[in-house]
Amino acid sequence: MKDNEKPKQTKNSKLSRRDFMGAAAAVAAFTIVPRHVLGGPRQIPPSEKVNIAGIGVGGRGGGDIEAVSSQNIVALCDVDWRQAAGTFRRHPNARKYKDFREMLEKEDKNIDAVVVATPDHVHAPASIMAMKMDKHVYCEKPLTHSVYEARLMAETAREHKVATQMGNQGQASEETRLMCETIWDGAIGQVRDVYVWTDRPLNGINKWYWPQGIDRPKGEDPVPDTLDWDLWIGPAPKRPYVERVYSPFVWRGWWDFGTGALGDIGCHSLDPVFRALKLGHPTSVEACCTLVNDETYPVASRITYEFPARGEMAPVRVHWYDGGMKPPRPLELEAGRNWDTNGTLFVGDDGMMLGNRLIPESRQREYGKPPQKLERSPGHHQEWIDACKGGKPAGSNFPNHAGLLAQVVLLGNVCLRPAIKEKMTQIKLLWDGDAMKVTNLPEANQYLHREYRQGWSL
Amino acid sequence: MKSWAKSDEEQDKKITRRDFMGAAGAVAAFTIVPSHVLGGPRRVPPSEKLNIAGVGIGGRGAGDLDEVGSENIVALCDVDDRYAAGVFKRYPNAKKYHDFRRMLDNEKNIDAVVIATPDHAHAVVAMAAIKMGKHVYCEKPLAHSIYEVRKLTEAAREAGVATQLGNQGQASEETRLACEFIWDGAIGPVREVHSWCNRPISPRGIDRPKETPPVPDTLNWDLWLGPAPQRPYHPCYLPFSWRGWWDFGTGVLGDIGCHQLVSIFRALKLGYPTSVEACSSGVNSETAPLASIIRYDFPAREGMPPVKLTWYDGGLMPARPEELEEGLRFGNADENLYIGDKGKMLGHRLLPEARSKEYGRPPRVLPRSPGHHKEWINACKGGEPAGSNFDLAGPLTEVVLLGNVALRMGQQLYEKGLKLYYDGPNMKVTNLPEANKYIRNEYREGWTL
Repeated sequence: MKDNEKPKQTKNSKLSRRDFMGAAAAVAAFTIVPRHVLGGPRQIPPSEKVNIAGIGVGGRGGGDIEAVSSQNIVALCDVDWRQAAGTFRRHPNARKYKDFREMLEKEDKNIDAVVVATPDHVHAPASIMAMKMDKHVYCEKPLTHSVYEARLMAETAREHKVATQMGNQGQASEETRLMCETIWDGAIGQVRDVYVWTDRPLNGINKWYWPQGIDRPKGEDPVPDTLDWDLWIGPAPKRPYVERVYSPFVWRGWWDFGTGALGDIGCHSLDPVFRALKLGHPTSVEACCTLVNDETYPVASRITYEFPARGEMAPVRVHWYDGGMKPPRPLELEAGRNWDTNGTLFVGDDGMMLGNRLIPESRQREYGKPPQKLERSPGHHQEWIDACKGGKPAGSNFPNHAGLLAQVVLLGNVCLRPAIKEKMTQIKLLWDGDAMKVTNLPEANQYLHREYRQGWSL
Repeated sequence: MKSWAKSDEEQDKKITRRDFMGAAGAVAAFTIVPSHVLGGPRRVPPSEKLNIAGVGIGGRGAGDLDEVGSENIVALCDVDDRYAAGVFKRYPNAKKYHDFRRMLDNEKNIDAVVIATPDHAHAVVAMAAIKMGKHVYCEKPLAHSIYEVRKLTEAAREAGVATQLGNQGQASEETRLACEFIWDGAIGPVREVHSWCNRPISPRGIDRPKETPPVPDTLNWDLWLGPAPQRPYHPCYLPFSWRGWWDFGTGVLGDIGCHQLVSIFRALKLGYPTSVEACSSGVNSETAPLASIIRYDFPAREGMPPVKLTWYDGGLMPARPEELEEGLRFGNADENLYIGDKGKMLGHRLLPEARSKEYGRPPRVLPRSPGHHKEWINACKGGEPAGSNFDLAGPLTEVVLLGNVALRMGQQLYEKGLKLYYDGPNMKVTNLPEANKYIRNEYREGWTL
């Protein structure tokens, strides 16, 4: 069920002002029933502004807040006030917090929606608490830190009927639509292999984004006054603060906090693959990687998912490469053209598509444009704002899209766990998506979620 | 002309003692002509022992000497007294040297040389020995650069010496079976083959150290550097860990490629590729990467279709083939996977197991080996050329080292994702001339090939 297709009864019982204005006065009585009795988020007419709070506003969160700043930014929360200083300054009227739990409790009445852009390991606790309080949620990619959390995010959003959007803004692009429409038009025939690659985390020795394949440093540095380290750690296991090793940004490489290159980029670049090929859960996944330990993700990996047939569409394998690894350069790509450091290649029975263009380019020119079948987007953040105001669900809403995409992305990381690496030489992980279970290696299931530190729960 | 062909031809002119013993007295006169007058190596009959010298004996060299220990080990050379101490002790009668050049000059009785120095010194040692008519066993990869390999191959052919590269797997039953399966058409024409190795085991992707600790008394650092550019001593280079440094080693591909690709080369009768492309976890001008994927395109050969060869290291490997039953190992250690039109073969095992059982063994068409080192000993004594003599090992090593040329193009090649188009006979990258600087390295003053 899409989250705009609410049951009739609910729709009638929770009338928005828009409905009210255009409806018979007889139903007006309903609108004075306090919201908390009926449950569900406040209905916001398009003419009003959404009251938004930010959780994790220093890095990418700063950009997300700017992208929704046509609305009211009423509160901002960050555990690192130095990192957040710029965003705080840009929104002098927003109340400032360190602990999102305190903010949500104190600002419950003032907040309609939250934008979550913390490190990955805090996405779920922050978003789920907000959704349980009927707040709309925009959450950065990857949706969560674990497969289980991603599933729960989708379920919670569905249950609370809140408007959601994951921060994979590419989903709103023209390129994504062209990829879908070209595939659906049969331009390259049945697609049996897709290759997706990123140069993260390394991109060459001297230009890295963040380290992976390293061990936990010894020692401890004094925690800066501007940082609440305990809150930064959140639900993850406690560990000493070391300057520049975890925060900002480089937490991405650590198992306890981030989700590696796949988590960082997978929800961006696999999104159009999911849409174009109408993917659901895979039947299997397997991987290889460089040396990996229990602290950080490996320097490079290749992860392969197998998806079953879907309707008319043939079974397909999706091959992920990171850390500088690329799939082989296809002969169809003209000799002088770049075979980029990041990309997506669809291999069909009748041709290939690199990004949203058939290769060679002469083939694209001959083909022209596919028939337009998909609606274009008003913009990724705008989609969410519209959804918060009773519009249709955003393109990467949790229940119908982002929850599944994130689960599948994060499942890939399970394959890289050092403890099961040896067992993985004998099998592919067979995946029962509906049951959320690896069926042929029970110990792999422990990596679908982890225990939270005391004091933290979902 | 192949070295064994030359040997055969010269058999008449330069008769060996074996011939002499069983032949008429009339030919005896020939045997007293000193070998340097006729040129070429001394002919050693099977009943006699070779006089062997070892150069670079501390690491893998020790193992090689053990393998040829049935012969006379007459001289040993190493620049690192401490590392070589055990081997020196094991051969108390062998003369000891630091500088192979002095050893070769002084020890007139050497028939053959076993070379197991770091890669960057292979060529200068091997060339000096070959030019003096010594048989040569040289560890893999044959040399540090494509140019050196070519020169060694040509020189060995000209000198008519017995040669063998240290890729002992070539002598194995497994290599023969892989060839025989392919040639029997067990998996049909092969268009794709994958080969992988989970090394490196020494640090990679790092920069040159800034500290300059003193050189240990037991090490002649200048000789260790040999033809490589001058740089201060640091323990991060030796022993063994030189493999990751471009000035000395050849990365995982150089270390393992000559082992693992030899079956593929033979089975698929490969020559030079038409192109090569590389990607890696990050490469700099100092060290090889932690992980890489290198891809070669080979043209059609002798009734075989064009084939793509993919090399992986650092833990990377291809996806598990669906034909391989659950529970059977598909590990990242060292493996070759052949993909044919009619099936797949992992190492020398057809997939799946059922297919392998049904097929049984391919017809035996290749002679079996008496052992890798023994092949060379036999060749030194006038027997048939060893299985990895330089005429065969040279082109293999050139192709292996070409992968490093692509890797060393680094970020530039990586970002554009271009292939290097290669003219094998002329040792030239044709589309990106700047790559050619990696085909031949400059030697330090005082060193020549």
